[in-house]
Amino acid sequence: MKKRVIALLMAMTMCTAALAGCDSGKNNGGSEGGASGTTADPLQSLIDATSGTVKLTVWASDVTEAQDHTQELIDAFKAQYSSVNFDITLGAESESTAKDTVLTDITAAADVYSFADDQITELVNAGALQAVSIGYTYDVKAANAAGAVDAATVNGQLYAYPMTADNTYYLFYDKSVFSEDDVKSLDTMVTKAKAAGKKIGFEFGNAWYLYGWFAGAGLDAYLTDSGANTCNWNTGAGPDVAKAIMDYCAEGTVANITDDGSAVTGVKEGTYAAVVNGIWNSSALQEEWGANFGAAKLPEFTAGGQTYQMNSYFSCKLVGVNPHSENVGWAMVLAEYLTNEDAQKSRFEKVGWGPSNSNAAASPEVQASADIAAISEQTKFAQPQRIGGNFWDPAATLGKNLSEGTVSDIQGMLDEAVAGITAP
Amino acid sequence: MKKKKSRLYGKKEKATFGKTFVKYFKDFGTAVAKGDKAVKLSLILMGFGFFARKQLMKGIIISVVEILYILLLVFWAVPNLADFGTLGTVQLEMVFDPATGKNIVNDYDNSFLILISSITALFTLFVFILWYIHNIKEVYKLQLREEQGKPINNFIEELQTYIGSNFHRTLLTLPTLGVILMNVLPLFVLIAVAFTNYDKDHMPPNSLLSWVGFENFRTLFSSGGMSITFGYAFGKIVSWTFVWAVVATFTCFIGGIALAVLINSQGVIYPKMWRTFFMITIAVPQFVTLLLMRNFFRDDGIVNTLATNAGLLDFFKNIGLVKPNMSYIPFLSGGSVGWAKFMIILINIWVGVPYQMLIATGVLMNAPQDQIESARIDGASKWQIFWKIIVPYILVVQGPALITDFVRNINNFNVIYLLTQDLYITSDMKMANSSAKEVDLLVTWLFRLTNEDYNYKMASVIGIIVFIICIAFTLVSYSRLMKGNKEEDYQL
Repeated sequence: MKKRVIALLMAMTMCTAALAGCDSGKNNGGSEGGASGTTADPLQSLIDATSGTVKLTVWASDVTEAQDHTQELIDAFKAQYSSVNFDITLGAESESTAKDTVLTDITAAADVYSFADDQITELVNAGALQAVSIGYTYDVKAANAAGAVDAATVNGQLYAYPMTADNTYYLFYDKSVFSEDDVKSLDTMVTKAKAAGKKIGFEFGNAWYLYGWFAGAGLDAYLTDSGANTCNWNTGAGPDVAKAIMDYCAEGTVANITDDGSAVTGVKEGTYAAVVNGIWNSSALQEEWGANFGAAKLPEFTAGGQTYQMNSYFSCKLVGVNPHSENVGWAMVLAEYLTNEDAQKSRFEKVGWGPSNSNAAASPEVQASADIAAISEQTKFAQPQRIGGNFWDPAATLGKNLSEGTVSDIQGMLDEAVAGITAP
Repeated sequence: MKKKKSRLYGKKEKATFGKTFVKYFKDFGTAVAKGDKAVKLSLILMGFGFFARKQLMKGIIISVVEILYILLLVFWAVPNLADFGTLGTVQLEMVFDPATGKNIVNDYDNSFLILISSITALFTLFVFILWYIHNIKEVYKLQLREEQGKPINNFIEELQTYIGSNFHRTLLTLPTLGVILMNVLPLFVLIAVAFTNYDKDHMPPNSLLSWVGFENFRTLFSSGGMSITFGYAFGKIVSWTFVWAVVATFTCFIGGIALAVLINSQGVIYPKMWRTFFMITIAVPQFVTLLLMRNFFRDDGIVNTLATNAGLLDFFKNIGLVKPNMSYIPFLSGGSVGWAKFMIILINIWVGVPYQMLIATGVLMNAPQDQIESARIDGASKWQIFWKIIVPYILVVQGPALITDFVRNINNFNVIYLLTQDLYITSDMKMANSSAKEVDLLVTWLFRLTNEDYNYKMASVIGIIVFIICIAFTLVSYSRLMKGNKEEDYQL
């Protein structure tokens, strides 16, 4: 009999345990919110409202220097708010793939993560970004360059903290082949390069770069509110631009490069005297060209008898806060800390990334960089990268076919590409 | 002993699925009808039948498990299953409170959790019913034992059977649980996703999912559904998947046998050394080999540099294999579809042949020496022996392995993806408009569609189609190859 009683007791304990474990697919939301004093300083009231350990996870770029720099900032952050008990973990996640990892399971993603701004629309749609409705330590909108703030804004609402403003492409060239005036026009460059027996490298098989040609001629390719792209590359000057690319490539001096890696390899082998690339390859190219290293905005090109300034995509690295975080407030304070003026200055020194913060960008150290000068020139002819997934493959194929000169019916090819790009 | 043997080999009467199925419920009916009061009470509290036969402990455990499960059913499974039809109705809403730094979240429905929980609940219900039926039969068996005056195990004895006559249960519990949790349940969830609208515009927990029936399947098979050229790309990819699977399987198979025969043949000095060389290629992880190959054969890779210097590029241009305006051989870059397909198969041979060589070496060592011997005495040439005895022997022994290889090649993600991702750009605008490449297999295309576009619903649909294709092929080949039980011809 005793046995039975014990067994019954056990059964009951198990029942309660089992019941406690099930929440029937519902997430009981809410937190201890509510009783908050209306103190003037939100940061102070946040500190007052905090009890226990604040656990945060941060995902920063997997580049070693960036990881080290972020860790330094986190340590300094802990020291600054020493009254609060923090448990901050740093993970590595490339900005270019952050969206994929975050969207796999938003609730399991980091509290604070950095990402490239072209991912912002999808992240906002999936509810993976906390709206920046308050500045705890500084005014994000006022402190950063307008272009960077735009890049962090969706439907008029700021959703992330700008961290860098250097993600674009511009021209790297060898000063022993081209003068500063030469690089203003692609036609001049072709003449000079030909005389020197060198080539000019451009990644035509990559939609990101190809965009610059068509955008230069005033043509559009962007994501509309309906969720589909709009693109008019097959109208107006479009066929002329396509013909121009084919002609430049057929002539032989302007050549297609496979990817970022081959840009550097090509320069090292002495094939290329100029390549269109981004700041990530700058140090490798500086090493190769030494004192002859030059950086400038993209050149002008001729299409259908007209001269156009080549455009580019411009994007920023942003820091976002996950709304599913347990400590959204502290995550926001940390995100502010990781992107404030001092952090951006030290990031430029230690990691080499160009700041989006206006004061940081105006500092003499930053201004002295040839890359930053070229970027700030190029951003006058740059558009934020707002384009849906259907853009990449058709545009890459278009660029590749044009560079290989295999297109007989340019208008037909453009029509077909545009149909693919704009498909819902 | 004799009895056991007859169970293994002698039983000719086939137990068909239908018969087993009918018998299963007939036994249950008999148990309920002929059972005494204790058995009938077991229909309500499952332990009763054991209480009546003095198996107190077993009865308690079984009853407790039953009660626990019913509680689980009422408090967890039923609420979830109630939402299963709609996959939830309450949209997530968040309000941020700057002063406390917390988001105030409403009591929302997470569609994906509901989906997972419901499927798990249905599965546990199914398992419970099986167990319930089994229990009644068990209890009835006890009743029969008692009526026949046979001894009934006490609890200790019952436990001891789990290291005795019931040892297979003890052994298989953990693996079975693992397979169910890791394979079976996720599979059901993924199949269910094919019937929902789970894509980049409907991502839980932020938005709710809903059922769409066979809509996704219709989209797949109606042209212009998923992308404007979907039908075109699907057809091309399916046909290349089959060509690839056939060619990749047989080149590796034949190459492996040839290599094994070559190394085993007399006159080859240091056969062990040669074999070891090929083994080393196995020791290097496959993805390392593939990434290296990819870099060797890039447009600006080392092979292209060598080929240009050696005049191979000009030679290919002269015979028309490379277009005149190209400054490189488009091994993997998609300037020419033929080159890329050829290279992928070639590289796959390099990666796959050593494995096949190993297997073939083992098979050859067990080749029927008596037959070879007598053929030789009868004056057959080496060539005849090879084609008439060794090859048929290898085909029979390796048949099932070949089919497995074929199915694996249909899904050979590594080789295709690692060699072509970001390197191969299609020239066919119709393919590009569907995010497809000529060298894609169904799986790599599926991966790109999910990973880059978050199109989970369509990925599930394609996954189901690939599964059906593989199943169909495996069944047909097995029944063909195994017909007539050729294996016995070579036994003894």
